[in-house]
Amino acid sequence: MSDVGRWFQKYLLQFVVLAIVIASMYALYPNFHVETSIERIMPLGVVAAGLAVTMIAGEFDLSIASMAAFSGALTIWLSPIGLIPALLIAIVVGTLLGMVQGWAIARLGISSLVFTIGTLILFRGLTWVVTSGVSIRVSDVKSTDVFRVDILKFLSPLSLTGIVIFILLGIFLAYTRWGREIYALGGARNEAIAAGVRYKRGMMVAFGISGGLGAVGGGMTSALNGSASPTAFGSLLLGALAVVLVGGISLSGGRGTMVNVFLGFAIIAILSAGLAGMGAKAFVAELFTGVLLLVVLLFDYLIRTLSERDRKKRLKKVAISTA
Amino acid sequence: MSTTEAMSVGYQNRAATRKSMNILRNWALPLLLVLLFVISALLVPNFSELTTIRAIFLQTALIGICAVGMTALTLSGNLFSLGVTPTVILGAMVYVWVGEASKSMWIAAAVTIVAVLVTGVVQGFIVSLGLNAVIVTLAVGAVIYGVTALVTKGALVEPSEKVDLAGFATFAIFGIPLPVIVFVVFTAVAWLLTQHTLIGRKIFLLGANKSAAEISGISPRATTVWAFILMSFGFGIAAVLASAQIHSVQADQLPALTLDTVAAVLVGGCAVSGGDGSPIKSAIGALFIATVAQIMVLLSVPDGLKQLVLGIVVVALVVILHVLRKAGSR
Repeated sequence: MSDVGRWFQKYLLQFVVLAIVIASMYALYPNFHVETSIERIMPLGVVAAGLAVTMIAGEFDLSIASMAAFSGALTIWLSPIGLIPALLIAIVVGTLLGMVQGWAIARLGISSLVFTIGTLILFRGLTWVVTSGVSIRVSDVKSTDVFRVDILKFLSPLSLTGIVIFILLGIFLAYTRWGREIYALGGARNEAIAAGVRYKRGMMVAFGISGGLGAVGGGMTSALNGSASPTAFGSLLLGALAVVLVGGISLSGGRGTMVNVFLGFAIIAILSAGLAGMGAKAFVAELFTGVLLLVVLLFDYLIRTLSERDRKKRLKKVAISTA
Repeated sequence: MSTTEAMSVGYQNRAATRKSMNILRNWALPLLLVLLFVISALLVPNFSELTTIRAIFLQTALIGICAVGMTALTLSGNLFSLGVTPTVILGAMVYVWVGEASKSMWIAAAVTIVAVLVTGVVQGFIVSLGLNAVIVTLAVGAVIYGVTALVTKGALVEPSEKVDLAGFATFAIFGIPLPVIVFVVFTAVAWLLTQHTLIGRKIFLLGANKSAAEISGISPRATTVWAFILMSFGFGIAAVLASAQIHSVQADQLPALTLDTVAAVLVGGCAVSGGDGSPIKSAIGALFIATVAQIMVLLSVPDGLKQLVLGIVVVALVVILHVLRKAGSR
């Protein structure tokens, strides 16, 4: 089989689901536009990519939605110095905070679920402090126009950034040494460390990326809207998790690529655009995401048990034929 | 001194450090709590008044009952639940609906607890297939929230004037409000259950060492479902008390309950890997968090800073307890 064929086979399930979703959307809404639906929730894709990196490393960053809220608030708070410098500062701060998290998790040998649920509360607190508990807005409304220009007709700066991030991160994970080390730490940690992979550095890289991408997602959303609220992004973690799992990233670590995340993101983006098109409220979307997440989890479980049974059957056959 | 003697001295020294580390870990939070009470009584205005203490304990009761319930889940090695708020809100709504229909708060309470137990059993079955409890409870929580918001259309659910459902919140014995008594009794029962019954032992062993538990004939599936049942029982009681207390329920209420509950369990010193902890520790954790929150209310700290301080307290205590546990098990 050719390389291209093998590549498609690897992502077959996601491609089939995506095709079904797109087809049903066009059937339901004749004037449906795939690109605009992806465009609207690009930040979700960016945040999901960050979450995926920590999951590939065999860890979990529960704090990513709080990080997005904090960076959004920071961007608006700093906006008097100019929206773009403010956004860049917020992203740098997010990355640094993420690296500190990664360092602490590796240094203490603490479960990342425990540590990041602590920082989830902490970053949310920082958001409340920065916004002083109310919704804040940029003073100069026109300054958000920078984010609304069209590049190549349908690409906005936001979606262009998102796509560039996906490509760069994909290359980083697949072809660089530090990227491969993240896979190694997620797939077989003890073996990786024994083979000379530096655990602390790997964790700092993985959590630095997730912190930075959380900041990009939250900061860009707030910059685009020109406002930030202390309670924003309440269901972002759920959404990002759905994207990552629908895309087919393994919960046990070490497996999955940025192509997985992008396909998962495209599926969720189009589905939520469809829901929005029906005029569904936010809680319906949340209900839907929850159901979808459960279906994916159970489906994943079924495939795992079936393949395990199949493997055992084959082993038995080999044992009989050699006996 | 011969080599063997030197080794045995070294070993004894290490054993002594280990022991003192474990004592420190077990008593760190109670000591901190006493210290907090003493300092606040001296420095914070109005802290030692009866109304303040009452408020702290009422606040603790809700978080504490949830946290004590969740301890069973954490002990069994299934991390924690991220669906506390939607589950309790669902229960609170059921309480109002059934109370309205049956005109009896007792029937309402019973049905509420059963309804919440059902959600627990369902989640327990899903998780017992070997799925991650955090993700499953987050997903099921989203579904429950979606359904409650959809059914009520985001509106308030409140009992009509004719029905009195507040009895569980207003009743008091010797001036101690019923929720606080329920909290203490529930903690004691949960402690007995986890330490001195077969199912409690199974939960402990499953969390401490899953493969050893399986080999010794404990069913991980059944035990996981049991852990969920114990947790949901707590959520059910909390739902009844919350509903009686807040009177009118809305899908968006109690937004902080999930994180407060998880924070109470972690601050209390339960090991998230399972097999180490106790309902009493989680109850003290809840008391600690409620006390810190109440002190900040008295000092009129703005909302934002309150969240931040809570976050810092949780991260700091979790890290300290983790370091002590590592030092104690070396």
